[in-house]
Amino acid sequence: MTQKGIFHRIKKDWVIYLMLFPAILYFVIFNVIPIIGMKLAFQDYRVIGDNIWVGLKHFKVLFSSPAFFDVLQNTIIISTMKIVFFFPIPIVLSLMINELRNGPFRKYVQSVIYLPHFLSWVVIAGVWISLLSPDAGGINVIRNFFQLPTLDYMTSKDHIRWVLVFSEMWRSAGWDSIIYLAAIMKISPSLYEAARIDGASTFQQMRFITFPQLLSTVVVVFILNLGFFLNAGFDQVFNMINDSTISKIDILDTYVYRIGILNGQYAYATAASLFKGVIGVILILSTHFISKRLTGKGVW
Amino acid sequence: MKKMLLLVLVFVMIFVTACSNDSDDVSEATVDKDGVVNLKVVFKDEGPSNPVAVKYFSNLEKALKEDKDLNVKFELVEMPQGNYAEKLNLLLMSGEIPDLIYFQGGDQQIANQDLLEDLTPYIEKSEYIKDILLPHNEERLKNYPYLLWVKPLDSKTPVIRKDWFEKAASSDALMADPSIENYHAFFKEVVQNADGGKPAYAVTVAGDIAELDTIFKMAFGLNQTWLEQDGKYINSKVSEQEKAKLTFYSQLYEEGLLDPQYLTKQWDTKEEAFYDGDAAVITGTNGKIIDIYNGKMTQVNGADAEVVVLPPAKGEYQGFIATDITKESRGLAISSQSKSKDTAFAVLDYLASPEGQKLDRLGFEGEHFNVTDSGIELTEKYYNEWYARFWEPEAFELEKPLVTPLLSEPAQNSRELANEFYNPDNSFIIPEEFVSKWDAMENIYKDFSADVITGKRSVSEFDDYVKQWNEAGGNEITEYANETIK
Repeated sequence: MTQKGIFHRIKKDWVIYLMLFPAILYFVIFNVIPIIGMKLAFQDYRVIGDNIWVGLKHFKVLFSSPAFFDVLQNTIIISTMKIVFFFPIPIVLSLMINELRNGPFRKYVQSVIYLPHFLSWVVIAGVWISLLSPDAGGINVIRNFFQLPTLDYMTSKDHIRWVLVFSEMWRSAGWDSIIYLAAIMKISPSLYEAARIDGASTFQQMRFITFPQLLSTVVVVFILNLGFFLNAGFDQVFNMINDSTISKIDILDTYVYRIGILNGQYAYATAASLFKGVIGVILILSTHFISKRLTGKGVW
Repeated sequence: MKKMLLLVLVFVMIFVTACSNDSDDVSEATVDKDGVVNLKVVFKDEGPSNPVAVKYFSNLEKALKEDKDLNVKFELVEMPQGNYAEKLNLLLMSGEIPDLIYFQGGDQQIANQDLLEDLTPYIEKSEYIKDILLPHNEERLKNYPYLLWVKPLDSKTPVIRKDWFEKAASSDALMADPSIENYHAFFKEVVQNADGGKPAYAVTVAGDIAELDTIFKMAFGLNQTWLEQDGKYINSKVSEQEKAKLTFYSQLYEEGLLDPQYLTKQWDTKEEAFYDGDAAVITGTNGKIIDIYNGKMTQVNGADAEVVVLPPAKGEYQGFIATDITKESRGLAISSQSKSKDTAFAVLDYLASPEGQKLDRLGFEGEHFNVTDSGIELTEKYYNEWYARFWEPEAFELEKPLVTPLLSEPAQNSRELANEFYNPDNSFIIPEEFVSKWDAMENIYKDFSADVITGKRSVSEFDDYVKQWNEAGGNEITEYANETIK
């Protein structure tokens, strides 16, 4: 499109572009400006006077830290578990909600599954600590009923990562299903109508119409999620970690918080964030191009 | 299209440049035309949205004018909710540096950039502050002269409700000789005496063993962070004494004397367990916190349940862990960029004077205290709400005697015990290049100690743990410690 064409289009649809402006401003302020601030990763910050250029000093410290590769490993394991076990849940949930025909019951289900999204991790951690408590916690009461031994999930090195996955699932699965539900709403009813005339069962309609139509949304969400791969959930871990599980769920973000933020070493924290960002971009781009080649679908 | 993109990029760059602020934004001249000195103050919970803080600083302005002829106008900085140290650091790093700054961590980075004033010359010339410094303040100021915090030692002391304490036959033996064995026997008996399942366990702590250490650490011979052994210093966490201590803690856990869920306890759930009767003993900061424990405990469980302060365990040494004297962990600093440094310090000095002390420690007349013919009576509101914002030296003289005491009896006992067992530590500030290694070593210790106590690992693996700890940086830091500690 020519420059003249672009201006013509903006002039014609100026109201729509005006509506877009706050979003653009938001991204400039909160996403573009911080990118420029990333230069801090290569500097020593000075409150008064110019920052001192130190090159890769902070990256060297980061990569030479004995804890860094442990926390990186924890982050990758937790993120992978969340992607493998959590990512499909909102899709399944949206397909199930879509099949609910009873209006009030559907609204009730939606309200109940969206609700945890609005709770802070401080509250959720409290709820889960009580729920999983070895002393009269709901889960252990059920285990005991079936003659199974009591388990202290919150201090168990074998279980704590699963606690993170399931608590994340409980909090976000409902909310994350909204995007898929919206995509399902877009599917033309005539497709279902034609399928029903051809004698397709409900499951077949879901399998051969809903899911294929949903696939492009799934691919886009999956690729975008990979951009946040190294964000394994600071608030969640921060509220659920304890001395017994620190070796299993201490992640990059909690490490950076301790070393970078609490010690006021912002340049160091920025270096770690930049590292995370670069990994995120690499993952997004590589997945996008692989997906394009294999399925023809990608982010753009 | 490319030109369009270029245009957008230029726009973004201009916007970013306009938004960025590299100027040295420090305090402007702060004396207005009426000769009033404007002091910007940032203090935790004492922002302009807090009416008590506004009234307090307004009263302070009047008192400074009246008593010292100082025309000061305080401008309180509102801090966002959340971790104060983190938010304060962000404020300072943005270039906004108030004249008077209360720190609760994170000050070292600011001091390293020469943004905090060395308070030594001010203190030497002061009228009052130099006389109220406590021994630990003096030591800390020698090592780190940027933070001032004249408060009693913050050692935590163990407490138990009196009716349970008196019910246990072993309590007399414990008070006469608080050996580890007697403590163990006392804990056992308290749990054996349980009525209706209360208490469920003898002691609980908030999330880690730091609070348990306040009772037992010294008794196991861990009287310093760096222990001298064969003419060399080793860290107490990799010593044989530490191994013995962890063995004892694991025994307490195994016998059900230590809360089986101590790892997931927070300070609020710990206190709840105490008031509800699940835990017999908890520790709390001596003085005001013990006062709160005492007040709440009697409110919930009746007058017989007032708290009794227990002594620290006695063994090789006795005390509530060694006091870190490397620096104040919190306190007030004056910005080196302030144009009113002398006035800022004059305010701090005034608060150490008898008039300033009365204002700071007693609160507002008619609200927190009343002056009667017989003396000064503290009100219920004082006990529920008031706390000294600034200094709390031991000597506190008023023109009239206090009819009601500042602290309840248990709280006063806890303070006296904390002072009695003051023992300066030989720890040092970890240099920046060792910070990440120190963090890794701390995590290894936390992991191992929690596993040993909860029975997931055997204490016989102690040597493996020591090896791991040393490899994570322990060797280097121990070498540094041997060069540093004199």
